[in-house]
Amino acid sequence: MSTPMIILIVFIIILVLMYNSLVAKKNQVDNIFASVDTQLKKRYNLIPNLVASVSKYMEHEKSILEEITKLRSEANRPNISDEHKMALDAKMSSALGSIMVAVENYPELKANENVIHLQHSLSEVEEQIAAARRAYNQAVTDYNNALEQIPTNFMANAMAYKRKQVFEIQENERKNVNVKELFN
Amino acid sequence: MKSISELTDFYYKTLYPTLEVLEKERETLKHRVVVIGVIYTLCCGLVALAFLSANVGFDIFVFFIVAYLAVGGGIYKWLISDYAKDFKHKIITPLIKEIDNNLQYTPELHIPSDYFTRSKIFTSKPDRVSGNDFVRGKIDGVSIQFSDFHAEKRHKDSKGRESWSTIFQGLFIVSEFHKHFKGSTVVLPDSAQSTFGDLIGSFLQANNFSRNDLVKMDNVAFEKEFVVYGTDQVEARYILSHTLMQKLLHFKKRSKHPLYVSFRGGKIYMAIEYNKDLFEPSVFHSLLKYKIAMEYLNTLHLAIGIVEELKLNQKLWSKL
Repeated sequence: MSTPMIILIVFIIILVLMYNSLVAKKNQVDNIFASVDTQLKKRYNLIPNLVASVSKYMEHEKSILEEITKLRSEANRPNISDEHKMALDAKMSSALGSIMVAVENYPELKANENVIHLQHSLSEVEEQIAAARRAYNQAVTDYNNALEQIPTNFMANAMAYKRKQVFEIQENERKNVNVKELFN
Repeated sequence: MKSISELTDFYYKTLYPTLEVLEKERETLKHRVVVIGVIYTLCCGLVALAFLSANVGFDIFVFFIVAYLAVGGGIYKWLISDYAKDFKHKIITPLIKEIDNNLQYTPELHIPSDYFTRSKIFTSKPDRVSGNDFVRGKIDGVSIQFSDFHAEKRHKDSKGRESWSTIFQGLFIVSEFHKHFKGSTVVLPDSAQSTFGDLIGSFLQANNFSRNDLVKMDNVAFEKEFVVYGTDQVEARYILSHTLMQKLLHFKKRSKHPLYVSFRGGKIYMAIEYNKDLFEPSVFHSLLKYKIAMEYLNTLHLAIGIVEELKLNQKLWSKL
């Protein structure tokens, strides 16, 4: 085999490897976003029950409850983009957070078994969501790095791959959640 | 759980009369060990001289030295066996009871080797396991067991000669884990990145074919110290929350020895590599010495303390 032929073959192999690694990174992002989505759906499914249980007692938080219901119906619409889902998730997390804090002000709610159970389920789902978000962010970082680093950036350009957005991790999620304090 | 200083008090106050008796036993034993050691060495020296004059090969000479050390070690172990038994019965047993009364201590047994294999911390299968100082029980409703453990692998060279290498020697701890999970996640000391640097190290880690997928964690200090492999990217992060990563880092700093952790089948497995047999007394060191006492106390406190330290007693609702 002539030398130019060998160089050509090596070059093609490198191109194929680069192409495959980019596709694998992109699919990894999609794959993990699917698990984020599953967990988010699990949380949305808890919401009607939560709103029904607390709305009787909560007078001052009516607007937050309405917002939660609105966010849920918006999230349930078909064909919404990933970015939109992420934005809804951020709003939902903060709204649910304020409801959980507000529950502390209602002794009847704090003692209500249904509400306690819901709180437990929510905190479990929140943990799962936090884990899925972190996994997603790592996958996106790997993908974005490949898009900018030499030599994969040339290939990514040719394939018209675009940078993806990461979830913003809220500062309070990084803190240690003290379960005892939450439910006492 | 009792603090280290409370345990130190217990060791030097409550156990003091026993320590004094053992200390006398040790002094007599030390004398005997030295006398027997000198006689044994002299005898071996004479035999060696006879060999040398007979002009034997280098191979046999090396074999002779190995045999001298092995038999010597055996004699030493046999001589101190009663003292070691007394030490474990009179010192280690009350110490463990003092830390938590629910714990059972069996000096002769070790953790079932099944646990070692099942943990998947080490990829090579051991051909011989040994160990002792088995402790098990429940702390705050969480079952925990640990022991000294030594796993070895057999090698055969081209001449058919057998040799053994150590896979792991140190403390092996098994406990219930408070979160529900299906796959497996393994946390190992980050040797590749610290030896070969970031670039080559991370390439080697990502292409480790004997392990599952590499899981990059979002805690810089943790990533520097450990490398994580897992079957599921999301699950690995569900288990290794930011809080647990910090706690493992802190635990590693306290133990000052390489730490291996794995999460499989609802359990957490921890292997702390000491490369020596723990909880064994030496006739050449006094039990009253602070440094010696602290070694026993710290190791026990570290192992039994994991339930509190890693908050394994905070059960999540999925496991209730």
